[in-house]
Amino acid sequence: MVPSRPAYWEIEPIWLFYALAAVAVLVFGAGVARRVVGWRRGRAQLVLPPVGRGLEAVLRDGLLGARLFRGDVSAGLMHLALMWGFIGLFIGTVTVAVDHYLVGFLTGRVYIGFSIAMEVCGLLLLIGVLWALVRRVVQRVPRLSCTADDFVVPIWLLALGLSGFGLEGARLVAQEPAWASYSFVGHAMAGAWPEGERALTAYRALWWGHAVASLGLVAYLPWSKLMHALLAPATLFARDAIRTATSGDEEVVRFGRHQLLHGDACVRCGRCDDVCPSTGAGEPLSPRACVQASRRAVTTAATLVAQSWYCTTCGACAWACPLSITPIDTIAQARRGLIEDGAHVPPQLAETLERLHKYDNPWVAKKGQKGAWQDRSANPAQAELLYFVGCTTALDTRAQGIARALTAVLDRCGLAFTTLGKKEPCCGDIARRVGELGLFEEHRDKTEKLFDAHGVVELVTSSPHCWDTLAHAYPGERRAAHYTQLLARLLEDGRLTFAGKLDSRVTFHDPCYLGRHNGVVDEPRRVIRATGAELVEMEPHGEASLCCGGGGGRMWQELPEQGQLAQRRIRQAVATGAEILITACPLCLIMLEDARKTSGLEDRIEVRDLTELVGRALEV
Amino acid sequence: MQIVVLAKSVPEISEAELEINAEGTGIETEDLVLGINEWDNFAVEEAVRLREAHGGTVTVMTLGDKEAEDVLRRALAMGADEAIHLCDDAFEGSDPATVARLFARVLRDRKVDLILTGVQSSDANNAQTGVLLAQELGWGYATLVTKIERAGETLTVHRELESDTEERVELPLPAVVTVQSGINEPRYVSVMGIRKVRGKTIEQLGLGDLGVGEEQVGAASSAITRRSLSLPDTSGAAELLEGTLADISHRLATLVREAGGLS
Repeated sequence: MVPSRPAYWEIEPIWLFYALAAVAVLVFGAGVARRVVGWRRGRAQLVLPPVGRGLEAVLRDGLLGARLFRGDVSAGLMHLALMWGFIGLFIGTVTVAVDHYLVGFLTGRVYIGFSIAMEVCGLLLLIGVLWALVRRVVQRVPRLSCTADDFVVPIWLLALGLSGFGLEGARLVAQEPAWASYSFVGHAMAGAWPEGERALTAYRALWWGHAVASLGLVAYLPWSKLMHALLAPATLFARDAIRTATSGDEEVVRFGRHQLLHGDACVRCGRCDDVCPSTGAGEPLSPRACVQASRRAVTTAATLVAQSWYCTTCGACAWACPLSITPIDTIAQARRGLIEDGAHVPPQLAETLERLHKYDNPWVAKKGQKGAWQDRSANPAQAELLYFVGCTTALDTRAQGIARALTAVLDRCGLAFTTLGKKEPCCGDIARRVGELGLFEEHRDKTEKLFDAHGVVELVTSSPHCWDTLAHAYPGERRAAHYTQLLARLLEDGRLTFAGKLDSRVTFHDPCYLGRHNGVVDEPRRVIRATGAELVEMEPHGEASLCCGGGGGRMWQELPEQGQLAQRRIRQAVATGAEILITACPLCLIMLEDARKTSGLEDRIEVRDLTELVGRALEV
Repeated sequence: MQIVVLAKSVPEISEAELEINAEGTGIETEDLVLGINEWDNFAVEEAVRLREAHGGTVTVMTLGDKEAEDVLRRALAMGADEAIHLCDDAFEGSDPATVARLFARVLRDRKVDLILTGVQSSDANNAQTGVLLAQELGWGYATLVTKIERAGETLTVHRELESDTEERVELPLPAVVTVQSGINEPRYVSVMGIRKVRGKTIEQLGLGDLGVGEEQVGAASSAITRRSLSLPDTSGAAELLEGTLADISHRLATLVREAGGLS
């Protein structure tokens, strides 16, 4: 006899199954429709990435689960087992349907192969589900949420897996096929069933139980966190999408459709909370809660009002999310709404914005102070390369060291460049990050005009923040680089050379807008190594780096329950045993320098900008 | 409730280095940034909140040159419904009494329940305009107000007095209330918010519209003549002590004793 398995073997009445299936599909449809209606309340504002790139993300981060392993290997393996078990069994069910209703092909060796594959998938599902329950119930991983849905889903899947194997075992006893041993799990369980008619009765009961559970899961899926299984391809595909928002938009207070979709795709896993520097420092911000709150469509939801201003826009949340959900965007959108509403803007932030508006910098209520750091006569008026100093580097006494060191280093390399001196405007990054889009646009337009007037073709900045904005939020066709990129290039060209070797043990703090947001991780390290200094790495580093707390406008704010974000980082730096903590951003420099003093670690470590290290190595 | 807010455009001086103008009668305003008088900003916010609670309209009014329009736009962006701009070269140099008379002329024939303004302005610090306007209109008034509650046609206001004492006053409407800073937290006004009200019409009133003669306004009518303005003399006030720590301490103690500080 050729191996195969008859569908609906010994099951009556089949119409009941079809009726139940119809109900399940209706409930499923209603759940999906409810979500779709919700998304339609949002603004359509998405420009999707090229199909190839989107599909690559779906394959790599979805089916292969690459992002699942970021920072939590155990969770990654657990989810991979569960997901592939689930997907495999789903494909199996579809295959059986095709075989039964369309083309019969599940016979002989094909059937045996299929049967073995299904056993493996079932096992994977059971392993994954049990593992998930162990993590939640036994290990009690702190970040995992514990709502009813969080228990219903795994227990349901467990019931499905067990009933599936159970009914298979009972069927094998009742049916006694010659190829029973290939269904190795069910076969092993067969011993648990009585012989003959009673096995058939057990089989029938389990069959119906399994059918009801399966159809129930279909119905429940769009009402549960399992919805992410359907939405993940969409969120992963659209990861590199462009989210357009301009101040001219009348409906800036509403969330975009992709943000509402993110709210529905979120499974509350809490990886974002785990890596958030604000959450970690005990502040009231929870990126997860913000994404969950975004389902309500309006940017002024209570959670967002209370939490949005704590965000440093470091992007760790979006980096950590396995589904490429972007809490940072949700918060940015909420901020835009809060700025336009006006009533919930923290007083000190309002003052900073007024100062930016009136005096073109966030630091002093005075214009024309930005040339003060220059202790030498003005630079040549015309040069293709403009050194855009930035407000903080130009005005903060500590950060001015970056400007002095960098100009000296560039001079030593024989590079012609110019600065705008006291005429240098604010690039608008701060306004952009706190959600004051109108003010950002004013800054942008004014700066563009000035660049044009000076014939600027190439820019180099002290701050990764200015660079990010000038490179990504300005329409002009100019080459913009952060100075770490420029120094790495000069190193490669042989224009930057070091005669001696620094004899220091250093560690490098990756500024968020350099490493995580823009992937510039190697350049600063190449420069550090070239000075001869010994580089030891902090945990975390590179794209996983921990924010100093100065971004997203936090530098110019005092918030209630404010945490010590930079102190966490300085302790990580001290733990490496390095003598010098190097960074490459004026905000990081100020924050870490302060943290060094406030945490009493002044004698343990020195804080320097990379320009200062290079300056020291060159003895300029 | 029909509310009128008086707001003034003033130079921002809190962190500026002030210079006296060539005539020696005022500060050099060329490089200064203009903005709404801080106290008036609280008054606009309070008016908008009262309107949100009780309905009605908020009209914001200023007297000043063309640039003062920014203050009106800002108030409109904060939520004021209408704006009136008293603008005429002849108004330049008017004293608080004249300004109050001009405001009274505008408001006399309109239905107004409550006039709010700041306790004082940061540039002239007279703290008179609101009170004189109440006098012109024959209305009651309350100054230094830190809280406003309304019950029917009566307001209960809290006044901030010396040594943290607080007075509660009942005030029948219509009335003038001058608002102390800190009465509320004024909302942030975004650039986009201001851009949105760019198209709103502002009622412009000049000398002719108010039916007053040139001799009744401006510096000519003013009871006050500012003779001169000067920066306080800071030279000679400091003496730098030099020497060892012991010498300095000794000398300091002697100086304090000589000045009658230690007995």
